[in-house]
Amino acid sequence: MAENTRDIKLSSAVTVLSSDDPVRVFEQFATLDLISGGRAEITAGRGSYTESFPLFGYDLNDYSELFADKLDLLLKLRAENPVTWQGTTRPALHAADVSPQPGREIPLWVAVGGTSASVVRAAHLGLPMALAIIGGSYRQFAPFADLYRKAAAQFGHDAGTLKLSINSPGFLAATHREAIEVSHPYFESGWMANHHQRGQGVPMPLAAYEAQSTRAGAFFLGSPQEVTDKILDQWELFHHDRVTIQMGFGNVPQREMLKSIELLGTEVAPVVRKEIASRPEPAGGPR
Amino acid sequence: MSAPLRVTAVVGTTRSVSKTKALAELIIGRLAAHAEISVEVIEIHALNPGLGAAIEREQLDARAEAAIRAAESADLLIAATPVFRGSYSGLFKHFFDFVGQYALAGKPVLLAATGGSERHAMVIDQALRPLFGFFQAWTAPMGVYLTSGDFDGTTVLNPEAYERIEVAVSDIIPVAHQLAEARSRRQAA
Repeated sequence: MAENTRDIKLSSAVTVLSSDDPVRVFEQFATLDLISGGRAEITAGRGSYTESFPLFGYDLNDYSELFADKLDLLLKLRAENPVTWQGTTRPALHAADVSPQPGREIPLWVAVGGTSASVVRAAHLGLPMALAIIGGSYRQFAPFADLYRKAAAQFGHDAGTLKLSINSPGFLAATHREAIEVSHPYFESGWMANHHQRGQGVPMPLAAYEAQSTRAGAFFLGSPQEVTDKILDQWELFHHDRVTIQMGFGNVPQREMLKSIELLGTEVAPVVRKEIASRPEPAGGPR
Repeated sequence: MSAPLRVTAVVGTTRSVSKTKALAELIIGRLAAHAEISVEVIEIHALNPGLGAAIEREQLDARAEAAIRAAESADLLIAATPVFRGSYSGLFKHFFDFVGQYALAGKPVLLAATGGSERHAMVIDQALRPLFGFFQAWTAPMGVYLTSGDFDGTTVLNPEAYERIEVAVSDIIPVAHQLAEARSRRQAA
């Protein structure tokens, strides 16, 4: 993908750093950054599923410490080479030479689901925050954006350098109905594969999926006009800098997927960029 | 092939546009997707002043009496209430005060409630369940409690709510069928 594209950023939806090795993560993203000419980005999070912990030999009791410790190492890897580091969840590194080295500092976003402590962690470190809203009412997440900015200011970070991203599922088609009807069967099967209760998948009925596409719902799901409206509505609330859409979850076929990407790029993004550029800065300083 | 399940939903709401009613309708919709049902929805507010004015069952007007009978004769009862002052609404309880002491014995009941915040979630288990325990009803282990934040108006947004309803409904349907069959066998005998 890096070879066949020129402009797009190449990021993980989320890298579950807690059950990964920060050195390996850094090497992989450094490689991607070199191949793509400086377009790689890391989105690191604690993970919303527990399976990866026993799978890779970690104890879920260390859930919180694993992320904090590994994020600390990843930041160190980004900042220096050779690297010397000592932590609690991984053997120490002594003047270790990590290669390849990217030609720049790879952007690192902290992915947050709905835990205030994670918001404060991102704010404390002065790192950009990706707020994952994977269903329900996006309005309920407004307090996290406020907390992020207030906490970052208290930790002495310049609010202007802090970036906020809203990350949600979505899918676009020419019409509302088409977007729903094309994507729902795939979304539901992906949801069932991912969302287990009592050892079996729980379906997402069409009514539930459609509720996410309503004006107050979290998904960027519908016609280009609807998705544009939702992003602009959200901007009034969050004053965020980026929207990341997990598009066609459940493996929507390539033809429809490409159309969705095209609609986002040609009909939604230009309007959103132009519209937001024309709006006054939010009160309380630059975003 | 078993007969359609007669489902009665008693909605203890005081308004016609209601989150509790929306929740009951969502549950009914999923029941209908999984089983053959006939449905009666009883909105408590629509039974007034006949319901509220009565102290003895004989004093109920025809409409309120018919509603009580629909609850008593259901194969599956959905009991849904908003949380008022920390519990089910007063009129909701008033409705069930007229229901025959053993009319719900051995009947499946799905408990549902809505409230202003998560703080009232125990209304299912600490208010509704004891009431139907008195009636010797089979209350479904999984109830559905939603807060205002799960809604946009009367549209349920929270996908977890749909999941919970799905699980609650697929748990209760086979039980409701079995209890209905056992009841009709007893009546035939």
